Amino acid sequence: MNLVVADFLIQINAGFPLQIDAGYVPYIQVHNTNCPDVIIECRQGLPIGLFDDCKILFEANNGHHKFYTIVRYGEGFGFLIYSQQFPDEIQQIALLDKDLKQWEIYTRPELDGSIDPMKYPMGPIVLYYLVIKNEAIMIHASGIFDGEKGRLFTGFSGTGKSTMAKLWKHNGSTIINDDRLIIRKNGNRYVMHNTPMYYADQPMSASVDAIHLIRHFPKNTTQCIKGVKAVSSVMAFCIQNNFDKLFIQNCIGFISGLCTSVRVYETGFVPDTSIVSFLNGHED
Amino acid sequence: MMNRQNFQQIKAGFVIKEIGNELMLVPLSSNVSKMNELFTMNETGKFIWENLNGGMDMEALILNMSETFDVAPDQVRQDILLFQEKLSQMLSCKL
Repeated sequence: MNLVVADFLIQINAGFPLQIDAGYVPYIQVHNTNCPDVIIECRQGLPIGLFDDCKILFEANNGHHKFYTIVRYGEGFGFLIYSQQFPDEIQQIALLDKDLKQWEIYTRPELDGSIDPMKYPMGPIVLYYLVIKNEAIMIHASGIFDGEKGRLFTGFSGTGKSTMAKLWKHNGSTIINDDRLIIRKNGNRYVMHNTPMYYADQPMSASVDAIHLIRHFPKNTTQCIKGVKAVSSVMAFCIQNNFDKLFIQNCIGFISGLCTSVRVYETGFVPDTSIVSFLNGHED
Repeated sequence: MMNRQNFQQIKAGFVIKEIGNELMLVPLSSNVSKMNELFTMNETGKFIWENLNGGMDMEALILNMSETFDVAPDQVRQDILLFQEKLSQMLSCKL
């Protein structure tokens, strides 16, 4: 099976039937003979004691829930992926080689015996390690395209990313995604791509012509920011596993280039469609 | 008191990027909850970072800063300690 996400080719190999989440189905390409960007070998069942004595490099939890733990495994990395339904239960064990290209994903079968190698949060983890080696970033943001310009709206949870996307949609724009995007460089321009979610949506992409760091505010306001302030502000909303200097360097390098080419704004907005004409009139 | 040895230890915990004439520091981290803690340096912080990085002795740095910024040496010493504390907090370590 092949998946194409953000123009990256993900080749999934398994000697048994796979059950893939509905959100991934639109990204399946049966016939694609290009060289894969990443290869996933699927395995059934969970090996025991694989990471005994391995050094823990990184833990992803939000204080209430564990998502995954990363360990050093040989020259590469090992991942313990926790179930999002049953806390403390390990859902998957994964190995990634040092070149970040070859995965082995061991999955506990579902009750019906099926295997979903990309079951959340494994899928986004695969995408994250794909982007950091390929001059790209994954960011918590909504993205819209109005037929001429692509705009990206990012900010903390609750600042209005989805609301902003809906307001632009109401004015005829296309929502690329309202939660998570991959940004890649294509020649001299930057392009945003949607990624598989829990719901089915067709793969979409658009140029990135403006980035807005948004917050709710009593009136519409926007101000262009530059330099280290722009870079650090955008980076704060990127998905990051910052236990490795190379990962950080790649991320900063990409965002520096992005913020040089694309204007970044601090934007306060009233949650109604007045923000659409306001930004059309106030962006440089 | 910060010395060159524990400064090197602190420095190893960060990735530094110069953007324009400013410095951005990103700490290496072992937990996702620390991911958004980025650090940008003002003029004084950049002065400390660059001069210690260049191998300047601590007492020489204090005198140099005192002259450059027209601040009493004791105040500079205090500011450098605060600077060290801030960096150490970002790395969640005590030096």
